[in-house]
Amino acid sequence: MSGSYKRQRVIILIAFLAIPLLLLGTFSYYPAAKLLYLSFTDWDGISSTVEFLGLDNYREIFSNPDLFGVFLHQIPYVLGGILQNIIAITFAVILNSRIKGRNLFRVLLFVPYIMNGVAVAFMFQYVFDTNNGSLNALLGNLGLYNLQQSWLGETSLVNFSLASVSMWRYVGYTMIIYLGALQSIPGDMYEAATIDGANRFQSFWHLTLPSLSNVIQLNMFLTLSGALAVFDLPFVLTKGGPAGASETFLLKTTETAFTFNNYGLASAMSIVLLGLTIVILLVQNLVLRRRGRD
Amino acid sequence: MKKVTGYMLGMLMGVSLLAGCGGKTDSADAPAQGGTNASANGGEIIGTITFLTNRTDMVGEVYDDYAKRFKEKYPNAEVQFEAITDLDKTTKIRMSSGDYPDVVLIPTIPNSDLPKYFAPLDDLGLADSIYFKEFKSYEDKLYGISVGATTTGIIYNKQAFKDAGITEVPRTLDEFYAASKKLKDKGIVPLASNFKDQWPLYPWSSEVPTAIANDAQLNNKRSETDTPYTMDNAYGQAMSIIREMNQQGYLEPDINSTNWEQSKKDIATGKFAMAMLGNWAIPQVIDSGTESDNIGFFPLPYDNSGKTNVTLAPDWAYGVNKNSENIATAKAFVKWMLEDSGFDEYAGFIPVLKDKKPAVDQLNEFNSYEPVYIEAAADDPKTTDIVNKAQITKEALVQEFVLASNPQSVLDKYNKAWAKARKDVMK
Repeated sequence: MSGSYKRQRVIILIAFLAIPLLLLGTFSYYPAAKLLYLSFTDWDGISSTVEFLGLDNYREIFSNPDLFGVFLHQIPYVLGGILQNIIAITFAVILNSRIKGRNLFRVLLFVPYIMNGVAVAFMFQYVFDTNNGSLNALLGNLGLYNLQQSWLGETSLVNFSLASVSMWRYVGYTMIIYLGALQSIPGDMYEAATIDGANRFQSFWHLTLPSLSNVIQLNMFLTLSGALAVFDLPFVLTKGGPAGASETFLLKTTETAFTFNNYGLASAMSIVLLGLTIVILLVQNLVLRRRGRD
Repeated sequence: MKKVTGYMLGMLMGVSLLAGCGGKTDSADAPAQGGTNASANGGEIIGTITFLTNRTDMVGEVYDDYAKRFKEKYPNAEVQFEAITDLDKTTKIRMSSGDYPDVVLIPTIPNSDLPKYFAPLDDLGLADSIYFKEFKSYEDKLYGISVGATTTGIIYNKQAFKDAGITEVPRTLDEFYAASKKLKDKGIVPLASNFKDQWPLYPWSSEVPTAIANDAQLNNKRSETDTPYTMDNAYGQAMSIIREMNQQGYLEPDINSTNWEQSKKDIATGKFAMAMLGNWAIPQVIDSGTESDNIGFFPLPYDNSGKTNVTLAPDWAYGVNKNSENIATAKAFVKWMLEDSGFDEYAGFIPVLKDKKPAVDQLNEFNSYEPVYIEAAADDPKTTDIVNKAQITKEALVQEFVLASNPQSVLDKYNKAWAKARKDVMK
């Protein structure tokens, strides 16, 4: 009796696992393996034969500043991401207290994240427009004429403009993660701290922040890997312009594949991006773990 | 800044897309080697065919009418329309999978690959009466016929010209600058460059240089040199015109903040006066809010000789799937689209059939200035290889040229990339 129950269990387990595993294999692991293979070839997107190039594509990526150098354009996104985490923690702490209308504020902050990324980009096209844009109009109405800018046209400014949109869009999402973590900190710890005479800042610094460290780590990883893979905003808003100043690595990758038909090189670029994301994760784990041990 | 869900998903999708097409290449060849299994229906015009088109705007509208009229002519046949937005990419991927509709618009593949995917169209008997018969041909067989022809010139708002006191369209470069000045003095933006969007700059790096050089092979001949771009050759001359326009303030006030959709409305209302684009843009400008009578079209006077060349370029070309079950029907549909559908009028094209007169008034005005047409030549695969290898986006070159304080340094940079790629491709 118990033998057949066991077998039944096994069969059900396998049956339930088979479908997700099959899907995962078909749509994740097989394409990823194929991508790795293509990255060593010169495939042009349609030809039925490919030539094996060895490491040539990778050599090209690291030796051609036009390809690898665009990561410099993504530094503003990293800075914006750090700022985004600070703002998100601040809002999370405020909205975790018992203030009036906190659910409304939570929704308001989260809404930008729900919106379609391309729609957001189009919206900001009107905000940043130099002549008819609402941002310059606002500055004009406030009398701040000398602050009016060509927000997307100034080489030194364009990546910061784009990073600020990204920050606006994701701050709500980051905040929700922090909020969830905050709510899992037991209230009696705060009570104990209050009884011991801690003020609000002290309980934030010594109690809240340390309890959040895992989540901060997660959010920092999301921020950094996000900054590495920026794509939709520059794609819609600037097409990488002016004169390539807002090109990102992922934008270059799609261009290499779909405009210049060099799928082999583009595959190698995707692999490099994947590699960089893994490296960031490892470094971050290493640093945080060491600090934890101290 | 990004969140796992969005970007990881995006990355994964990118991964699957890139890899997905790879996996399917093998199958593309299998049917190809089977040879043309001529029409299963032995040349009768029957059955249902599908046309893969990029005109998403026509589905459920004009195409319904086409389907009805096609059925009237061939009662046993039926045509369906499938519209996609990213035509080139999508068609390529579907072709490499071996699963693509009966009639497609041929994507950017080398002409030597045409016989692998498409049936020859010579038996339609159109080869001698169409423009661009060499364009999608390989080894003397015709595999694609362009849906229409376009030329490039200045689209202008007649009322804006009148308001600025311009009585005749400029026929020389000096007159062109003078007209721009009058428009600017009147508070009208003389030329809408749509600089930020990059692609609207294409005439300055291809069509205008070809016209200046009076050589259809100009773009292809780049493969013969290490320095295709110089200040005093056709490319330099053409790009210097738009650079000069920018320096004189004859383009939008901030060229890095332009808006294509808005610019069409602004030309329609006369806030902007001109745009340098293909004639395909004329119906779009008119639809943005003005009368057809108010919009004109003239060849860009790129020098002071008073004579102008213009290029005549093909658009996407119809191709018939060689493995289609209803090849005869597919071919009949292509012929019907060219001869009877009225598509060239709807889309504002110059008919690809040489004997057919353009239905668009603006094209007749354009022709009244007696430009000399240069029929575009097919891209030489070697040149395309170099362009792809060097990753040169021709419109980006124009952008950099216009923005740079020293344009020569931009040309040097591009020539360097060109020479390097040329060495790799030629070896």
